[in-house]
Amino acid sequence: MKLHVLPLALSLGLALVVAPTTKAQTKKSYTIGLVAKSQGNPVFQAARVGANDAAKALGEKYGLKITIDWRTPNEEDAQKQAEAIEQLVLSGADGIAVSCSDANKLTDAINSAVKNGVPVATFDSDAPASHRFVTFGVDDEKCGEQVMEELAKVMDGKGVVAILAGNQNAPNLQKRVQGVKNAARKYSGITIRDTYYHKETPQDAAAKVEQVMQANPEITGWAMIGGWPLFTDSALKWAPGTVKCVSVDALPPELAYLRSGHVQLLLAQQVYEWGYRSVEHLINKIYLKQEPAAVHDVSPLVPVTKENVDAFAKNWEKWLPK
Amino acid sequence: MNSTTAPTAPPRARRARFQEGGLVVVIVLLGLLLASFGGSVNMPAFTKNAAGERERLFTTNTAGERVPVLLEKNKFFNAQNLTQLAKDTSFVAIMAVGATLVIISGGIDLSVGSVYALASVLGALVFHKFGAEGPLAQAPGWERASAGMLACVGAATACGLLNGGMIVALRVHPFIITLGTMAIYRGIAFVITGGQSVGEFPPEFRKLVRWQVGDDLSLAPLAVILLAAVAGGIYLSRLAAGRRIYAVGGNELASRFSGIRVARVKLSVYIYSGLAAGVAALVALGYYGSASSGDGSGYELDVIAAAVVGGASLSGGKGTALGALLGALIIKMIDNGIVILRIDQSYSRIIIGIAVILAVVLDQLNTWLAKRRLAGRAGNP
Repeated sequence: MKLHVLPLALSLGLALVVAPTTKAQTKKSYTIGLVAKSQGNPVFQAARVGANDAAKALGEKYGLKITIDWRTPNEEDAQKQAEAIEQLVLSGADGIAVSCSDANKLTDAINSAVKNGVPVATFDSDAPASHRFVTFGVDDEKCGEQVMEELAKVMDGKGVVAILAGNQNAPNLQKRVQGVKNAARKYSGITIRDTYYHKETPQDAAAKVEQVMQANPEITGWAMIGGWPLFTDSALKWAPGTVKCVSVDALPPELAYLRSGHVQLLLAQQVYEWGYRSVEHLINKIYLKQEPAAVHDVSPLVPVTKENVDAFAKNWEKWLPK
Repeated sequence: MNSTTAPTAPPRARRARFQEGGLVVVIVLLGLLLASFGGSVNMPAFTKNAAGERERLFTTNTAGERVPVLLEKNKFFNAQNLTQLAKDTSFVAIMAVGATLVIISGGIDLSVGSVYALASVLGALVFHKFGAEGPLAQAPGWERASAGMLACVGAATACGLLNGGMIVALRVHPFIITLGTMAIYRGIAFVITGGQSVGEFPPEFRKLVRWQVGDDLSLAPLAVILLAAVAGGIYLSRLAAGRRIYAVGGNELASRFSGIRVARVKLSVYIYSGLAAGVAALVALGYYGSASSGDGSGYELDVIAAAVVGGASLSGGKGTALGALLGALIIKMIDNGIVILRIDQSYSRIIIGIAVILAVVLDQLNTWLAKRRLAGRAGNP
């Protein structure tokens, strides 16, 4: 029975294949693929909200239907990101925005997308050798330098510093680490104990900080180039102010550490704008046929202190998924 | 037995063919579902220019603007998507063939993802020396391609040998040994690369793996999967060495008393598992052009899921190479379907997890039905 069913099923399947036909170019609806590094990191959830809001706002402005197709791997995996980009091109995406876990691995996939007429924008973590037309995010080396300079200010230029660095393979984080180390050289009273990597989950990051402090009680400052541990309660076990800390990112759970005095300064990346600006750039290119003013659209870090934390916190009502 | 009656295949072989037949039916049904409900997509048309290179085809519309020519194709059932699917399946499928041998023998290999990573980075470091920026860039083309290939596959096979050697010599459960080596191999990969991604490979190697025909179709990964499945299938079903794996997995004590060298069989399956991970890593190196110590993270679960969906039993004694390939294909088709049907990516893990459980439950139902049939025949000669 099975043997008769199979050829029939295959024939029906072939009959459903649409013969290739040419199509006119005018479109009123666009699909933008969004490929962030991992689902589990809340900064990318904020980017997703930004992208969806941009799709709605620009759709209303230009009378278009803009759909955001979210194709982010569950955990950081550059190969899965490359597969997602290829799949998005084949499923008809009009543009793609990607934050690259590994620039080398994604360059070919980005170039192939561009060759197939799908423009690609990068955000947060770039693929500089690729044919992406714009990249939006911080200058990672300057970001690292700013973290260290702010930390040195609150440490009065002396002490022992540990760098918390997340995924050792991420090119943007590697540049930030380099920036921290470059800036630290300007302060003869500051010693870098080491750079500590970890899986990019809040629990793993908090466990790493605790381990390091147990083994190195002489550490008096933390340069966190990402705020992963600050998503847990009581990640920083020292008395407020006894160890100084400056961290990148200022999502709501992290703000509590500013209020408690465990963290002296948060440097907020414009994570909502990662998604918003990327979609804006793509629609400008695809629909309005406009190129960006510059390939590097640099977003400055926003300093958040104990003094302005409450005003800054109000932004998150808009920036996070409901 | 009547001399005019043709010999029938043994029950296990008949059940395995039925299992694979079932998998094929699932694949066809999934394909029909995706072809029917996935809709169509407009893809750019290409042509060859005077230099023989592919370039996009443009035309002039009624407003006098230069616009690309687009072809409407079925979103699932078009050559590019099917080739893409084969490529995406290849890495897990190749490793799943190796993992199936381990599972048939009654073992488990949790380190495949880490072996993949270590083999990738070692191969990448050697390739980099022969790449455009490397010190050996002037070496002959065949040397440039083969050195990295040997390094990648050799390293992976050595990892497999180490796994198997420790399991046999130390008599520790494979779960524990491979859990430990999962961390060790990835750690070594990180230390030797310093967390950096390694690229810049010899173009000869990249061209070999990315060899394209027709409309930019990369068929090398598909060719490698088929080779792996055929080689694995012949080994398991036609060679005495392969049959011994089933014997050990089915009943280790009886195998030992039958004179089978159980330790040698166990050692061999882990070597093959390592070899398969090395081949998968090689294909990835050629296709993606770089490697880092984070590669293959979590792939052990994808590989084991593919083997189990393909009919391998975690209690040993059951499984086929073709089943492993089909299991990997089913999982990837579900993944592809999630993109084609525009299902929120957030649900992908849930959907794939349910599919894996369903596959195992159906397999157990199939086993129960087969036993009932056998019992029925025994009761009615």
